[in-house]
Amino acid sequence: MTTTVRSRPRFYRDVRILTWAFQLLVFAVVAAVGLWLWGNFRRNTASSGIPTSFDFLSNPTTFSIPGADFSPNEPVRNAYIVGLINTLRVSIVGIVFATIVGVLVGIGRLAQNWVVSRLSTVYVELFRNLPLLVLLTFIFLGVVLQFLPAIADSWTPLGWFVFSNRGIGVPWYDGISGWSLVGLVAVGGLGWWLIARWRRKVHERTGRPSRGVLLGGGFFVLALVLGWVALGGGITLPAVDGRQIAGGIRVDPSFFALLIALSVYTASHIAEIVRGAIQAIPKGQSEAAMALALKGFQRMWYVILPQAMRVAIPPLGNQYLNLIKNSSLGAGFAYFELTNVTQVTVGNGSPAVPAFFLTLLFYVVLSLVTSAIVNIANRRFKVVER
Amino acid sequence: MTQPEVFADATKAATGSPLIEVSHVDKFFGDFQALKDINLVVGHQEVVVVIGPSGSGKSTLIRCINRLEKHDRGRIVVDGIELSDDIRNIQEVRRETGMVFQQFNLFPHLTVLDNITLAPRQVRRVPKVEAEAEAMKLLERVGIPEQAHKYPGQLSGGQQQRVAIARSLAMKPKVMLFDEPTSALDPEMIKEVLDVMVELAQGGMTMIVVTHEMGFARAVADRIVFMSDGQIVEVGPPEHFFTNPTEERTKLFLSQIL
Amino acid sequence: MSADAMRPPSRSGPSEWMRRNLFRTWYDTVLTVVFGALALYVLARAIVFVFVDARWEIIEVNLKLLMVGRWPSEELTTIAVAVAMTGLLIGLVAGLVRGRQVRAGTAVRPSIGSRLADLAGRFSLLIGTALLLLALTDTAGPWTMAIATLVAGVVGRLVGGWLGSRFLPRWVTRLGALLIVAIPFVVFFYLNRAVPLAAWEGFFFNITAAMAGILLCFPLGVLLALARRSRLRLLQSMSIVYIEFVRGAPLFVLLLMANVSLEFFVPAAIAPSKVVRAITVFTLFTAAYLAEIVRGGLQSVPRGQEEAATALGLSPFKSMLLIVLPQALRNVIPAQIGQFISLFKDTTLAGLALGILDMLSAAQVITQQPAFRGQGLIIETLVFVGFLFWVGSFTMSRESQRLERKIGVGER
Repeated sequence: MTTTVRSRPRFYRDVRILTWAFQLLVFAVVAAVGLWLWGNFRRNTASSGIPTSFDFLSNPTTFSIPGADFSPNEPVRNAYIVGLINTLRVSIVGIVFATIVGVLVGIGRLAQNWVVSRLSTVYVELFRNLPLLVLLTFIFLGVVLQFLPAIADSWTPLGWFVFSNRGIGVPWYDGISGWSLVGLVAVGGLGWWLIARWRRKVHERTGRPSRGVLLGGGFFVLALVLGWVALGGGITLPAVDGRQIAGGIRVDPSFFALLIALSVYTASHIAEIVRGAIQAIPKGQSEAAMALALKGFQRMWYVILPQAMRVAIPPLGNQYLNLIKNSSLGAGFAYFELTNVTQVTVGNGSPAVPAFFLTLLFYVVLSLVTSAIVNIANRRFKVVER
Repeated sequence: MTQPEVFADATKAATGSPLIEVSHVDKFFGDFQALKDINLVVGHQEVVVVIGPSGSGKSTLIRCINRLEKHDRGRIVVDGIELSDDIRNIQEVRRETGMVFQQFNLFPHLTVLDNITLAPRQVRRVPKVEAEAEAMKLLERVGIPEQAHKYPGQLSGGQQQRVAIARSLAMKPKVMLFDEPTSALDPEMIKEVLDVMVELAQGGMTMIVVTHEMGFARAVADRIVFMSDGQIVEVGPPEHFFTNPTEERTKLFLSQIL
Repeated sequence: MSADAMRPPSRSGPSEWMRRNLFRTWYDTVLTVVFGALALYVLARAIVFVFVDARWEIIEVNLKLLMVGRWPSEELTTIAVAVAMTGLLIGLVAGLVRGRQVRAGTAVRPSIGSRLADLAGRFSLLIGTALLLLALTDTAGPWTMAIATLVAGVVGRLVGGWLGSRFLPRWVTRLGALLIVAIPFVVFFYLNRAVPLAAWEGFFFNITAAMAGILLCFPLGVLLALARRSRLRLLQSMSIVYIEFVRGAPLFVLLLMANVSLEFFVPAAIAPSKVVRAITVFTLFTAAYLAEIVRGGLQSVPRGQEEAATALGLSPFKSMLLIVLPQALRNVIPAQIGQFISLFKDTTLAGLALGILDMLSAAQVITQQPAFRGQGLIIETLVFVGFLFWVGSFTMSRESQRLERKIGVGER
């Protein structure tokens, strides 16, 4: 852009120069602090002979990870991967549980049924105001290790589950590979989608009720069961075998405690978000839907929830992030997720600063990925809205 | 636009010697050009009323005069001080110009008295007692001395705008800029604010007023500037403007609002 | 049935209420019965546990350990004095706020009785818990402390109210403000002289660490928020990197890191104690969250405020300090309380990560004492600890909701 000739102010009064000088000054202060820390770090590690590189990742792990097919001779690098997978496992399952419970409780708080709304309120106020660590300690030390019976006299409700303080047995699929299971789900899902589309067309053409969920879902279940039987799949039920659980799949007590604590705690926060989001929808929306003679469920499903979603998504994403970060508490309860792996490997001689730095980096990347997903979801809902 | 009267020439002051000189000013917001080659000279004790459709650049023009917006090309000189990147010049111009906003922009966490004394005490370093005495005089001038110890939230819109005028006057500015001062007011409160402005103009204050109040323009303005699409379309004294405007766009605008 | 159908439905009465709120439809009835039974069962079990089964003597015996850790008994008076000083401070601030409202004519004036009743209602849980704790002690010290605190609070409130409702010379208000800011520091040094910071334990650690974290994070948090909102690109990006990095990291990992690696980053002569490490991490961690809160507050202040200040000739620094920041901080007080609650709860992580004997760690340690080992008393101790944290954060969160409503209504 051309500028007409104008008198140049002296440099120490020029706004443009002053703003940059100010920024550089702040940057210099920050850099000086950083350099000071870094210099201390170099000096201290050099004087005590502690390595500062990431070479330790290739050293043998020297410890074993319960519940994983992992030998102590594998490099530390692989232990990190196992830890990361365990973090993701408890986080993803926890997010699913917390969302289901949270949404139900959140809607429950607004229910007209007095008992339901009161209980939901008690749930939210109770768990939201407890430190997560107290809850987790309580569930692990108090409930799992103390209330659950020893393996010899474990509870076996229906013969389908085994509850003991050595672990919890849950029915699991058997005789069929994981990939064929994925294939079956894909086929069933595709069928569901096609049927739903067909029924919607019918509904649009003739006005008859679509019943897409009923028919499509029915097909999904049918496809799954028939395919299962046809492929020779079965179910293994857990059973007590001496001092172990045989069959089914064994859920580690520490995983169980962490999962329950994270889900229960996060659900109480999600419930508040859901309630707030629903209440943020103007009353007129509900009244307009009523005036159009939509029924209770239809009002909720077609009018209120889509709008509430838009309000709820950003804080919901924050809660998911918190849950992932809080899963690091598993380290205190022998669950081998990322933090525990780091802690143990540092205890076994890996250098603390690079080891923890790597872990932090993992968490930060996980957070950035999660918030990116949330942002995409947010944008989608916004576009749909307009 | 070459009329014989000095009133119709934007580049000459209508009264007194020039106080504000705006020459060849362009202003962009991204790709959008908000001001196109604006030339305007305002003399001492002159009252200029700027009218025009919304989005025509009226507010941008007066916001450039006290550097709330930075102009991209051209020169703006206020009382002999050029608005450049020189921080001392910018501060000096801001001290010499008072501004009244559409939304009042009173500071809600300060009492009326503190609102008025804040700038004199912080910028001009006036002692507290003096500043407060001066503030009380100004409050009397705008007609609400009894509200001195209240908070802005407790006042009506008209009262708030009068406090805002007093707040600007407390800095003893050489020129007052008004950015649609009555647009956010309920109809019954407009008059009390306009009365204060009329009194101010009669007292010899140099003023640039962006407004839709044509009655005020007719009664008080020395000159009216009509802007459209970022340009000054027509300039002239009120009688010329309301009786026989020359430009088509001016006629159209006046026919729409009168 | 037919007789009922003839009558118009009554609009009140317990049976109508039950019909409407419990048995409106068949599935409402099912929900009511199922959840009602469940609730009654849990409630009954809880009552039986608390009043019959639980062996609370483990708490009674170890109350001091849970509250203040291994703080020497002969130095307990310092804590009593500190608590009383805090009571005085709270009373003073409450009084000043009230006095200002009276001066500005915005105060509502219900009778003293109803105001006391209102206070007692709002803080009933806190008062009840304090009485419960007092009942568990068998020495006169805690009682003396409670009474002294109460008296100090009332005195502070009266003095504050008197000062606040008056126009005072500027040097008096300046001095008063300085004193109020100084009290926490004076109290800290007073306590630190009796028992060094490194040995602060129990619930006392949880409370003081949370307060220290929230107070110390203020300068950094506000600076980060200002930098993030400024138009200066370099400052903005430095602030964003810090905030996003810290917010992406779990507090627990940061604490573990401080435990094993903080000593590498400072000169060898400084050997930070565990408590100092914990407070350092709390401060740096909370600053990032506070920055986001303050940024929200800054966004809530209309642009016109800054423009008006600029137009009056105030420098950017002064217009931020005198106009924008006071309003921004005021608007986010509820969010700041929320952050404090969250930090208060998170102080329990320091026990696990750094091995500080905070209240939660103490709750686990005491179950290993010879007299109580192997008797499954962890339930009792955790219920007690959880209850104390719960009362604290529940009361604070309710107060912050109340404030939020008040600020929301009072503004504009």
